[in-house]
Amino acid sequence: MRVVVTGMGVIAPIGTGVEQFWNAAVNGVCGIRKINSFDASNQRSQIAGEIIGFDPASLMSAKQIEQSDRFTQLALCAANFALKDSGDLDCYLPQRVAVSLGSGMGGFTTFESSATRKFQKKSLPPFTVPRIMANSAAAWIAAKYGFKGVNLTTSTACSSGSNAIGVGLELIRSGRADAVIAGGAEACVLPLTMSGFEALFALSTGFNNDPQHASRPFAKDRDGFVIGEGAGILVLEKEDHAKQRGAQIHAYLSGYGCTCDAVHIVAPEMDGQVAAMQAAMQDAHIQPESVDYINAHATSTPLGDIVETKAIKQCFGAHAYKLSISAIKSMIGHSIGASAAIGSIATIMALKTGTIHPTINLIEPDSECDLDYTPNRAVKKPIQIGLCNAFGFGGNNSTLVFTTN
Amino acid sequence: MTTVDIEARVIQFIASKAENIDASAVTAASQFKDLGFDSMDTVQLLFDAEEEFGVTFDGDEVRNLRTVGDIIDYISNHPPTASDKA
Repeated sequence: MRVVVTGMGVIAPIGTGVEQFWNAAVNGVCGIRKINSFDASNQRSQIAGEIIGFDPASLMSAKQIEQSDRFTQLALCAANFALKDSGDLDCYLPQRVAVSLGSGMGGFTTFESSATRKFQKKSLPPFTVPRIMANSAAAWIAAKYGFKGVNLTTSTACSSGSNAIGVGLELIRSGRADAVIAGGAEACVLPLTMSGFEALFALSTGFNNDPQHASRPFAKDRDGFVIGEGAGILVLEKEDHAKQRGAQIHAYLSGYGCTCDAVHIVAPEMDGQVAAMQAAMQDAHIQPESVDYINAHATSTPLGDIVETKAIKQCFGAHAYKLSISAIKSMIGHSIGASAAIGSIATIMALKTGTIHPTINLIEPDSECDLDYTPNRAVKKPIQIGLCNAFGFGGNNSTLVFTTN
Repeated sequence: MTTVDIEARVIQFIASKAENIDASAVTAASQFKDLGFDSMDTVQLLFDAEEEFGVTFDGDEVRNLRTVGDIIDYISNHPPTASDKA
């Protein structure tokens, strides 16, 4: 039994909706700017991939907006796009439609604002807890659309969105669901969260006055990741059901691999990444030599991009130099639990359009990063098999395999 | 602010928060539940009222606030402090 992607929805710093997002991505548009949502003058990193002007009012009442965190509102926006794209799911019993969502931080916009109020000895908004809890986005999607099946939230830091999609694949394969709304959402362009990443020296700090060039995966002078926000949602179904109802098939979700480095809580490790890619390819019954493209995790940290490059070489051997790689984070920053869901949409669009979006800001590569990262300009190339990598804190590695058939 | 001012402002405020209720139907005697506020809506309403009027409802007393008039009386009897205003 095969699982197909029949709907896609995205909200990202470079575009709302797949068409706008993809058009910007293939043209190398950068969504990184000085932080707009709060006074970041005290932050070491003062730039981000923010979604400017997002207004949830078209989807939610004033009361619903008051009861939900920004990450939930972004998730609902992406889910709405995905469900419009997939067409009506009324052919499925509500109990057979699942939601599988990933978020690294959950409702941290609310956490930070409520914590500030608490320390100022002010009352807390009564919906503080239901806004913060990590499963609130999945619950809101279910409530809005009446999806009464399995409802799960995966929180594995930067790989959350990937694992949520992987869980969605397994839910359909195991017969627990007929359709799954799967993806990730994050809204953590926030002072406390950013200060935490700054304390780890994980964020870019050297490009505060040149934000467009700050996120530069694989480049020699990269100095950390740029925080971002957004959401990406896929609609997954069994192939035969999708065909019966006449749904469009964007791609097949053919494989999923998940491993843990089991070494260090934040430092990446090559072997775990190799194992995740291998597990995903085995799951998809494909050989490494058949892979055309990898949408890399590639956050623009000094260590991470080298380890991923080494992992790809270890996994693919000589073929590593033939396949195409690109890093969506060069344009949108790192939206943590949403990043791999958005990367999955970029991977699927590469399969659909035969176009690989570029890795921007890659003028001079790191000497240890010597693969084809599709520098600066999109490339036309037919692609049958694409991988999407996601490697998170906790040593959590997740790879998805998307194919054209 | 006089009691009359407080009453007018509280009624106007609550009317703005009530969904599908004509503003003229909101009086000091109106119970929150009759204006369409369920229990969770009511705690949100009271939080919003704290923000609007610069008061802090006492944790125990808040359970006894059931009508628009209860809020008017509370605010009249608990004028905002300097720190509340800040």
